[in-house]
Amino acid sequence: MMTMQQSFSLSVLSCVLLLTACAQSAPVRNARLELAAEHSQNAQRAYNRGDYHVALRQYEMALQVDVAIENIPGIAINTLNLARVNQSLGRPEVANAYLDKLLQDRALEYEKSFMVAAAAQKSLLVLQQGDVKEARHWLEKASLWCDGKCPLASVIDNAHAAIALREKDTDQALRWADRAASASRNDSLLEYANALRYMSEARLMRGEFTTALRLADEALAVDKSLGWPEKIKQDLLLSASAYEGQGDAGQAKRFRERASRIATR
Amino acid sequence: MKLNNYNQRLLNIEQRTKRFLLGALGAMLLALLLIAIKQDYLVRSTTIYFFAPNAQGLNQGMAVKFIGFKVGSVKDVSMQPNASVRVRVSLNDEYVHLIGQDAKARLIKEALVGESVVEIIPGSQQVQQVTQNSVLQFERGQDASSIAESMASQLQPILTDIQQITASINNPNGDIQKTLKNLNQVTGDLRETVKQFTQLGISGNQKLESVHGKLDKALNSVNTNLEMMDKAIPRLIDKTDATLDNVQTATTDIKRMAADSAGELPAFIHNSNALVQDSQDMLEGAKQSWPFSGWFRKPEAQVLPVDGYVPPGSP
Repeated sequence: MMTMQQSFSLSVLSCVLLLTACAQSAPVRNARLELAAEHSQNAQRAYNRGDYHVALRQYEMALQVDVAIENIPGIAINTLNLARVNQSLGRPEVANAYLDKLLQDRALEYEKSFMVAAAAQKSLLVLQQGDVKEARHWLEKASLWCDGKCPLASVIDNAHAAIALREKDTDQALRWADRAASASRNDSLLEYANALRYMSEARLMRGEFTTALRLADEALAVDKSLGWPEKIKQDLLLSASAYEGQGDAGQAKRFRERASRIATR
Repeated sequence: MKLNNYNQRLLNIEQRTKRFLLGALGAMLLALLLIAIKQDYLVRSTTIYFFAPNAQGLNQGMAVKFIGFKVGSVKDVSMQPNASVRVRVSLNDEYVHLIGQDAKARLIKEALVGESVVEIIPGSQQVQQVTQNSVLQFERGQDASSIAESMASQLQPILTDIQQITASINNPNGDIQKTLKNLNQVTGDLRETVKQFTQLGISGNQKLESVHGKLDKALNSVNTNLEMMDKAIPRLIDKTDATLDNVQTATTDIKRMAADSAGELPAFIHNSNALVQDSQDMLEGAKQSWPFSGWFRKPEAQVLPVDGYVPPGSP
């Protein structure tokens, strides 16, 4: 039988062992890695509050540090983010150059998830510049790397919808956008609102103004909750077009006026 | 025998002199070596330039930093024929590959008190690094004195407003003083009315005499009270005046204190800065220790969400 003193000693020993186990120190990152992560985080905060110039500077500094210590995931993340920020600043050619750096890099091997993001972003960028063929090419690459299961599946679906809309194929646009909406409803409100907007645009093309208006309204509510001025402006313009289609010129004018008051940059 | 001793001594002296001279020469070479190290003569470096509109705050030997690390120093500050200032900077070759051609040189103060440094703000093009005799753009950062001046200029209107409000309260033609005078006048009128009412009561009905007597007493009492008020109100006004004087004095004191502390403000801010830095270090240490290490998330680089929307109007 264990005595009282033995039991007590055993309890104390157990507590000490438990505390020692808990006191394991986390893996330490080197100072430059910390610095790069800090710059990147500052940049993300600046981007989220719409301060794109600060975000640009911070991402550039993060990228420089990552390049200096060859932090491959960091290089990929910050290059992608620099492309995104430059796109937001209305500099598509710079954004394109950053994406090309990543997509054409033969020296470093990046994770597939980064390549999917780069290809999808490139596809959307060239589509914005009117090159449907090139957009389709990069989207196919993104789909191949994504394999239908990656987190960017709804972005790829939305990009398909965008291409279909450019080709005036409203059936395909609705199909892809509907698929994107179903996939993103609980995961990404940004892509859900994008899908709603594409559906609204497709309905507008078909002359189904009431449905288009309802979809634009829903997208507007989501975008207001996310706080994206560019998207809110697009939603208001879509609503204005829908009202115009319905013959309500007064409401259309009101919505256009609301859209014109939103400063997007 | 004596001559031999003499020669031997001469030889000893000669050897000592040689040793002394060799020692002195060695010390001189060591000193030169230290100077060369200090002056970075033994470090391979790249010379770049930037041009400033004036030389204020720019000195020979000041440090040149890049993302917080010393990467070189200012070698020369000279005036050009067009009255601009050319600054020659020597950059350690070890760091040159990090600095792009489109980098900028910015004159900043690392703390509110202390020497200025030239900070290299990295450019966006990593491929084209600076080379020998490259020229960077120059800009000035905001220094402590301009921040202090800005604060002082913001405080000044507030103090002026307080002074104006106090003066308005003290002004005999101001609203407050007028209100007090009017109150005094109303009290005097009320006393007169009561007196008239008393006289009316005396000439009233005999049957009401007893009642009148009581009323008279009551009115007398009111009258006495009013007289007391009449005496008290001027004293109250005097006290109000004194209070307003005190407010005025206090405001003057605040203004003087603000002016006195203006000189100490940068030091105070500097100390606060050091305190904040210490607290930050302590917090950093605590964040890395159990059990707090699990409570704080380390900063991680994250990919911004890809936006799958292309506006219909573009391009």
